[in-house]
Amino acid sequence: MSTATLPSARSRRRGIRGAGGGWAPYVFLTPFVVLFLVFLVAPIITALYTSLFTVERSGLGFGNENASIFVGLENYRRALSNQGFVASFGRVLLFGVVQVPIMLALATGLALLFDSAVVRWKRFFQLAVFIPYAVPTVVAALLWGFLYQPRVSPLVSGLEAIGLDIAFLAPGTVLWSIANVTTWSVTGVNMIIIFAALQTVPRDIYEAARIDGARELRVALQIKLPMVLPAIFLTLLFSIIGTLQLFNEPMTLRSITSNVTGDFTPNMAVFSTTTLGGNLNLGSAMAILLGLVTFALSILVSVLSNRRKGGS
Amino acid sequence: MKRSIKNLTTALAAGAGVALALAACSSGPTADDPVTLEFWGWVPGLEEAVAQWNEENPEIQVDFFRMTGDDGDTIPASIDAGTAPDIVQMSVHSIPGHVVNNRLIDIAEHAEDWGDRFTESTWASVSFDGGIYAIPQDSGPSGMMYRQDIFDEHGIEVPTTWEEYLEAARTLKEADPDLHIAQFSPNETGHWLQTVWQNSGTWNGIEDDAWTVNVADQQSQDVAELWQTLLDEDLFLTVEMWTPEFWAEVNDGRIATINYAAWFPVLLEESAESTSGNWRVAPTPNFEGQDSAGDTGGSVNVVPTGTEDVEHAVAFIEWLNTSEDGLDHLISNGGIFPAAVDGLEHPALLTEREFFGGQVINEVFADAAVKVPATWVDGPTYDLIQDRLKDQFARVANGDQTFSEALDTVHDQAVADLRDMGLSVAE
Repeated sequence: MSTATLPSARSRRRGIRGAGGGWAPYVFLTPFVVLFLVFLVAPIITALYTSLFTVERSGLGFGNENASIFVGLENYRRALSNQGFVASFGRVLLFGVVQVPIMLALATGLALLFDSAVVRWKRFFQLAVFIPYAVPTVVAALLWGFLYQPRVSPLVSGLEAIGLDIAFLAPGTVLWSIANVTTWSVTGVNMIIIFAALQTVPRDIYEAARIDGARELRVALQIKLPMVLPAIFLTLLFSIIGTLQLFNEPMTLRSITSNVTGDFTPNMAVFSTTTLGGNLNLGSAMAILLGLVTFALSILVSVLSNRRKGGS
Repeated sequence: MKRSIKNLTTALAAGAGVALALAACSSGPTADDPVTLEFWGWVPGLEEAVAQWNEENPEIQVDFFRMTGDDGDTIPASIDAGTAPDIVQMSVHSIPGHVVNNRLIDIAEHAEDWGDRFTESTWASVSFDGGIYAIPQDSGPSGMMYRQDIFDEHGIEVPTTWEEYLEAARTLKEADPDLHIAQFSPNETGHWLQTVWQNSGTWNGIEDDAWTVNVADQQSQDVAELWQTLLDEDLFLTVEMWTPEFWAEVNDGRIATINYAAWFPVLLEESAESTSGNWRVAPTPNFEGQDSAGDTGGSVNVVPTGTEDVEHAVAFIEWLNTSEDGLDHLISNGGIFPAAVDGLEHPALLTEREFFGGQVINEVFADAAVKVPATWVDGPTYDLIQDRLKDQFARVANGDQTFSEALDTVHDQAVADLRDMGLSVAE
């Protein structure tokens, strides 16, 4: 082993000293590039390719050749004329517009709180806020699913006892019950990201502010908050992507309430088309559309974030 | 613009198949040079069944793999890639979906005369357009599980028709507003399916060279009318099946009957222990002037495309599902309700059940099994129809529409789904 690695180490050193790079950097890059190509680029290309074809069948479909024929953008036309699929985008966008700001406000508030001097047992509370993130989303949805079911839930009976009769799984409320599960799950990790950003702010800025007479709240809102805005934008980006990809929570809750439809979110619509309907071509087109929307929104957030940085 | 492309994997698989077939042609299997068949299934005790077969048939060795969790989901891809097992257990409802994708071998040349070994309805569900694509293993004929103590308390006779069932429901409701004759679970389409089937209905059919969509036919509309009455008069308790909430209702005695398949009693025994001894089973109530039972469908054994030794694969399936020994394993160890008529009289099937007050409940289900109409035809979009019904039934439960309107919506969706697959639909 050691004899084999020695020459490469030597050549790397030569490479660094010399003008042209040797092959060593590429060796180190290989694992990433291979995984990137095999598990990201190849599936996307396959999906793109598949989405342009359809399986040719006729009659009952028994004993056909099942040859694939090129149909151009026909699958995309079908996907966009599928009301359930289009409506699912509206649903997750509504979800995102409400859930993401609430969750980020919570995460930011908690991060600022933990960063201030007022909280005792900081480590314990930080861990407590973070732990839900370590619970798999399916388990989280199952757990909350129990709490949403009228006959068995202490939560529902507790609320009833104080006069609140809430049907968590009704058609109008189930989306927000899912939002609650998501918020419970991911607030902690976003808090950690924002908190970490807070730690990089030079402490003497606070000192200067305090000497100028700024109180803790003013320091938080006028100094800390602007300093960690890039981190907040980052969490916003992740949250938007996460919202569009929503799948585990609604899919799990579907087993306890039919008010979560089979095409509740774009990902569920893709799942039902490919797995239940066996239509890989249409499913691929839908997946590509979902990817495009996610990509477009991510770009939008990045542009906004950069403009903000330029302005300040 | 249209351009046909050759499916490379199919071509490669076919090439490999030819090569292997040539190699296999040299001589038949012997004990020294046995064929090995791979078998995937999930019935408990299949290990013992396979062990017995292997001992008795040294020249045809079966390699068993127990399917758990999502193993079934990998089957379509493995058939398409040519790496599928030689024999697979699957739901009867998924057969046509696989046939239109060329994933199953038509075994009619081996099995076309076996019809009288199985109940009429199970045999009908594996036969399509002159082909036989599977051998039935188990089935789910319906029976009405009911709380005898509750019926006695309110002086209710066991209903034999749906009309009497409605009357019983009203009596119960009047006596105690919390007491319901049955639950309605929008997410569980099995109750719906079996009642449509009982009424000689189906979701799909075959007419010459085209599929028909029968989701909203009169047979289904009859069920819609019955269920609408149950829902409108608040005789149904709306609760999703299989949830903790559902079992809480069952254990609390707020549901007086569960009209469901032969595989359900064992689940009831497990999850409603507190009600042990109070349940009995009676035949499912009938539609006016009929004497029939419903069914939810069961599982079958198929020979996937790519299997080289079809003859021996079928021989094993035949032994497992129709021989005395095979049925003994399936019923005694597996606890299945057999599709084979010989199995219906098996002593292991006809045992007294303590949970049901010592009643031999499978006598009711065995009677039901031969009364299931042979009308049901699964279509290639069975799973989608089921999913779409769930979504529409949810809206019925919320009072946004009627069962009848739900059926019309699903009918249109089902026609569109079939056409999206390029298939012909006769209307």
